[in-house]
Amino acid sequence: MKINNIIASIIFCFLMVSCTKLGEKINGGLTQDQIAGGSGGGGNVPALLKGVYSSTRGVFQGQEGIYALWEMTTDELIGPTRGGDWDDNGAWRVLHSHNFDADHIRVKEVFNNLGGVIYGSTDLLRFTPTPQQDAEARMLRAMAMFYMLDGYNQVPYRDPGESNVTAPRVRKGVEALTYIIGELTAIIPNLPNGPVTVANKNAARALLMKCYLNKGAYANRAAPTFDAGDMQQVISLADQIINSGQYSFSPNYFDNFAPNNDAIGKENIWEQENIGGVSADNIRSRWHSSMHYNQQPSGWNGFTTLSDFYNKFEPSDKRRGVAYPTNNPSFPNPGNRVNVGFLVGQQYSMASGAALQDRTGAPLSFTPEVKIIEQGNNLEVTGIRAYKYPIDYQFDDNGNVNNDYVYFRLGDVMLMKAEALLRTNNAAGALVLVNAVRTNRGASVLTGLTLDNLIDERGREMYLESWRRQDLIRFGKFLTPWQEKPTDDPKYLLFPIPNGQLAANSNLNQNPGY
Amino acid sequence: MPKITLIKPATLLAAFLFFISSVFAQNKTVSGTVTDQDGKPVSGVNVTVKRGKMGTQTDANGSYTLSIPDNATLVFSSVGFGTTEMSSGGRTTVNASMSSVTTAVSEVVVVGYGTARRRDLTGSVSSVNEKNFNKGTYTSADQLIQGKVAGVQVANNSGQPGGGSTVKIRGNSAITGSGQPLYIVDGVPLDGRSARPGIGDVGLGGSNPGSNPLNFINPSDISSIDILKDASATAIYGSRAAYGVVLITTKKGISGQTKIDFGASYGIAKVAHKIKVLDASQFRQALTYYGVGNSNDKGSSVDAFDAITRTANVQNYNVGISGGTENGRYRLSFGALDQDGIVRKTGITKYTSNLNANFKFLENKNLGVDINIIPSQYTEHIAPISNNAGSRGSLIGNALQWNPTEKLVIPRAGKSDSLNVVRGGDLINPLALQTAFDDKSTVTTILASISPYFKFTKSLEYRFLYSINYGTGVRRTSIQQFLNFNDVLDKGRARIGQEELSTEQFTHTLNYTKQFTSNISMTALAGFEYLKYKHRGSDVNGFGQASLGGFGSYGLDYTNYIQFSDPSNRGAGSFVDPSYELQSYFGQVSFNYADKYLLKGSLRRDGSSKFGINNKYGNFPSFSAAWVVSKESFFNVPAINSLKIRGGWGKTGNQEFPSGSAVKRYSFGTNGLFQNNEANPDLKWQSDRQYNFGIDLAILKSRITFTADYFNKRTTDLLFPSEPAQPAAGGGTIKWVNLDGNIDNKGFEFAVNAAVIDQQDLHWDLAVNTTLIKNIVSGLNTSINTGTLDGQGVSGTTVEVIRNGLPINAFVTKRFNGFDKATGIAIYPDGDKLSYIGSPNPKTLFGMSTTLRYKKVSLNANLSGSFGNLLYNNTLNNVINVGSLNNGKNIALSVFQDPVKESFANPVTASSRFLQKGDYLKMTNATLSYAVGNLGSIFKGANVYVTGQNLFTITKFTGFDPEVNVDKNANGVPSVGIEYIPYPSARTITFGVNFSL
Repeated sequence: MKINNIIASIIFCFLMVSCTKLGEKINGGLTQDQIAGGSGGGGNVPALLKGVYSSTRGVFQGQEGIYALWEMTTDELIGPTRGGDWDDNGAWRVLHSHNFDADHIRVKEVFNNLGGVIYGSTDLLRFTPTPQQDAEARMLRAMAMFYMLDGYNQVPYRDPGESNVTAPRVRKGVEALTYIIGELTAIIPNLPNGPVTVANKNAARALLMKCYLNKGAYANRAAPTFDAGDMQQVISLADQIINSGQYSFSPNYFDNFAPNNDAIGKENIWEQENIGGVSADNIRSRWHSSMHYNQQPSGWNGFTTLSDFYNKFEPSDKRRGVAYPTNNPSFPNPGNRVNVGFLVGQQYSMASGAALQDRTGAPLSFTPEVKIIEQGNNLEVTGIRAYKYPIDYQFDDNGNVNNDYVYFRLGDVMLMKAEALLRTNNAAGALVLVNAVRTNRGASVLTGLTLDNLIDERGREMYLESWRRQDLIRFGKFLTPWQEKPTDDPKYLLFPIPNGQLAANSNLNQNPGY
Repeated sequence: MPKITLIKPATLLAAFLFFISSVFAQNKTVSGTVTDQDGKPVSGVNVTVKRGKMGTQTDANGSYTLSIPDNATLVFSSVGFGTTEMSSGGRTTVNASMSSVTTAVSEVVVVGYGTARRRDLTGSVSSVNEKNFNKGTYTSADQLIQGKVAGVQVANNSGQPGGGSTVKIRGNSAITGSGQPLYIVDGVPLDGRSARPGIGDVGLGGSNPGSNPLNFINPSDISSIDILKDASATAIYGSRAAYGVVLITTKKGISGQTKIDFGASYGIAKVAHKIKVLDASQFRQALTYYGVGNSNDKGSSVDAFDAITRTANVQNYNVGISGGTENGRYRLSFGALDQDGIVRKTGITKYTSNLNANFKFLENKNLGVDINIIPSQYTEHIAPISNNAGSRGSLIGNALQWNPTEKLVIPRAGKSDSLNVVRGGDLINPLALQTAFDDKSTVTTILASISPYFKFTKSLEYRFLYSINYGTGVRRTSIQQFLNFNDVLDKGRARIGQEELSTEQFTHTLNYTKQFTSNISMTALAGFEYLKYKHRGSDVNGFGQASLGGFGSYGLDYTNYIQFSDPSNRGAGSFVDPSYELQSYFGQVSFNYADKYLLKGSLRRDGSSKFGINNKYGNFPSFSAAWVVSKESFFNVPAINSLKIRGGWGKTGNQEFPSGSAVKRYSFGTNGLFQNNEANPDLKWQSDRQYNFGIDLAILKSRITFTADYFNKRTTDLLFPSEPAQPAAGGGTIKWVNLDGNIDNKGFEFAVNAAVIDQQDLHWDLAVNTTLIKNIVSGLNTSINTGTLDGQGVSGTTVEVIRNGLPINAFVTKRFNGFDKATGIAIYPDGDKLSYIGSPNPKTLFGMSTTLRYKKVSLNANLSGSFGNLLYNNTLNNVINVGSLNNGKNIALSVFQDPVKESFANPVTASSRFLQKGDYLKMTNATLSYAVGNLGSIFKGANVYVTGQNLFTITKFTGFDPEVNVDKNANGVPSVGIEYIPYPSARTITFGVNFSL
């Protein structure tokens, strides 16, 4: 049996060697310990911060994010179903007609994507950032929390490093706003003055203005009130921004949204950086989602504005649309046709100048009127096409276009200041600001200012910049009927909390009426 | 009975080999031939010495050679032939004749970590051996058993040669992962994935139909496939066994003279069924009928689908060399398959080999080693057909949509024809797409195992198995710059992807067998196993530089010079999966009392590095018992030869979620560092509990056997990629959880085998199996959507739901109630409200196999089918709907022929209109063969045959093939039964010949 013993020993050795503790190595990624120990022990905060910045882009830039919820629920934008296109189980129709529910995919994804920004910016704070990195992350978090408060009235949060086992706590309404105001006030000293693509002092001030301006709306969205002290805050913050001397009107209104707007957008206070040909999110969907298939670049023949909104503009108002110089010699726009703003009537080739046709061979001539379900022979051409970012003809094919997304700009600050003045009985002071904006845009001067013509002016100046829903609620206009939205219900002043989140977090409560 | 004479030189060689290796000098060598009742040689017959240790198997010609003591009694036994004993009586040639029985109780089946006699089984195990495999040319092993086994549903996901299959054992319980069984090849578990890099590309959809992970095995190297179905059989594989276990056994060498077996076949394949769209004249009529003007009548007449498809050639060659002695046997095989796809520029070329060797050492032969090596390489040429292509990216979609009055090629005077490509147009010429697109993937694999064993005593054996299974894939994809994809036009596109997959295994087992008394015996198994999986890959890609003329048209593949791409428009990426290790302890004990009462128990303790820190190990027990009633003295029914009642219970698990899912981790992106997973320290396996009752019956001298099983399987702790509570890491990061909830699969399986006619010259076998399955979901506190449709008008639309009270993947969509006759607009009586319409899971599975033989001519036919399910026709919904006509694209003939004129303004939306009955019955294959026998003294056992595969299908489904499962998952939750412009199925006729030297 000697050989048996030898073999038994060999087997025993095999067994010993084979045992393992089943530890897990991440290999292609990192654990939090590795991050904390990376880049010289201080943690790789720049890479994490870059990650948070880029995580903000999707929800703001694409046509399916904040743009869908804050614009298509208003009088500025509609996503009509056109035969084979854009039915999508009614997802776009219910936004415009105010019939969405707690299973709506956009309502869900925007909530989750904003939550992702809140998470990433909070998590970074554990890895000993510099004061400026700390302030930038908290600014990004404040921006995400602000939109979540604005849309859903409930803001779930966790402290840095808090366990994900217990349900996140939730701040609601004015409590959430107070927190955001406190955060912004605390971080301003540590934020830089620029550049425009980085969270900066004036960006925080502009967001603070939004906070004070909407405070009464968050206390009662059905009947907002405006505290004089809050309005005074708005005015003094506006003055700090205006008086910083960093901003002036751009020669062309659309320069602020152009492919190289980080260089020529003189009004812009804070932008999300897109780098042409290299790194961008889906800002190009703004024109693709609206343009017809046979235009250049080829679009998806979807979103349009409504004729009532279009008719708020005077013909001389440059904001209504211009022939913006193209940045690609293959598309010289020989006929000097309107190619940004609102597109109505016959459309032409940007390459040859020839009149375009739709896919049935009929003239591609956009009509002013549009229905939420288009069923006629002309269903491809109904509705005025609307997009605000001049097409980056150079990088459109690439997918990474150069246009930076604009959060805040001078025109908005001036109109917010005007609103605060008007709400504190200084209509004359307000009118000066409004007319300064209008004059620059080629519109006639107004002779008097009321809340009604101020909200219209905000529409003309700020259309498709994802503020319309908030503005209409603050002005008490969100529930009024408009084209293709005959009736409404006060519950639509808030988005529902997505059902998946209600199931995952017992501290969230469904908003009234859903 | 024709007498088979052995070739002299071979006998001499065998004798020589025997001489140098034999240690039983006092023994003598006998040889002989085993034939069936018709005189045909029978291969694979076990030839053993009664009460002795010696044994061998007959080769392909029914021949054997064995060293035996004088006057020993030889025992011949074989699956399907029962057992025959012959006394050698001092002779050197002992020929045996055996009669086939439909099921032999002495049949040996492969089970977890060993083999068992069928009569000793207490669980539900089905075996299919080579003789009963589906006939024809197959690229992977799962297709060999389609329709053969009760409770097993095999569906080809794609007609692409080498494409993946869906194999479901006893219903569907996967709310995540693939739901595929665990495959084990000669004791080596497979990873279940293919090393083919899965790259989608610009506008071509994110994913291609997968490659079949079994492609690396040559089906002609397989001797049997055993399917473990109930938990008492599978629980020994613990946390990977919930979807059943499929054991693939390759052919082994047989001692005796060296044999060379050849097989060759040639076949042609055609599209089995086309989707009917309008031809040119119908298209013109339609333009008038729908009143859309004739600007889209381009004046020609083409059939785009015919232009991209072809009659394809299939060639297959196999050679196997085997031989050796009792103490050293080997088999070496080579296979070459060249299968063109019915879609032009697709196909698979596959080279396989298998070396299998078994050696015994030491004077007492107690030490031995088994070696198995399977190297293979296959190259797939892949078409731009993806699961989720958008409007421009699918070859099949573009072919169906192509305006039949528009030329595909434009003749040019004095030059070759040019493809009709309109710059800037959004219509994609399918022929141009096919011409411009090149996608080749080469996967090279090697599976090697070495397994030494040692018998300490007659009762106790130790075995060690080490295996390595390594696969690497390289995929080169390019799109030529003439194609009117606006991002590719004038630039071109190239992409090179690479992937590696490996599994390393160490298994130690101790086997103990003891006969306590003449009536009581026991076997026991104890083992330890360690597995380590690795997976990594990378890719580089780029567009050409328009300013330098793009990649150009130099006649070279763009992937040959990817450095010429635009530096500012390149991509690069790499990944390594988090480590994945499995460590297990297992044991099994069975008792047998007088072959009447059988008891078995097993336990596996599985630890996985994937599980959360709080649940590193799980226990998976099973118990089962059987009572052989017919062995009881009181049992006296002469017509019943055997009656056995079985019962079993067991627990298994599933851990098919990505490694690293339990921990918080960050990943590197182009734009910084991101957290990409939410931690769950409690994450564990998905649990399955199954019980099974069965009955095995053999009557009329065992000419008819019948097996029935009832199974009841409950799946709990459902693995699910859940949406975490916000705030949570962004980008759709998920948290893997074990959801509360149950998925129940209950049902009956019946299998009947009958030798209906059993005469010298005329023989007729019939085997029928059927399965009845019921599936229901309960206890979930949420409702899960899946089945994501693609196409314009259905963005974000799902049509399947996993919800309490409904079968898994229930179709829930808008109810459609015809068209308004005046407007041609669809009527949805419930508006946008979604209703449960039906289930994609078949209620009934059916398989039938029959062989009719008259003298040397035999006809074998196999049918399979499934019934009681619905299929969603996403192709009809979104590719060839009426609205396409308005855009100058083609539409379905069924739409045009509908009595109601549908308005092309009718919104394209998901509804029950596109749910069609999925019932089908398919002639999987039929073979007519002629046993030529020996040709002179050189060619032996020659056989010529003609096989038809996929000969006809009876169904009402209007897509390509009712056997459809395009992957339309939503967030990793798999879909079932949705067609979306898949690779069409082929009908193949093959001519072949087999013979031995």
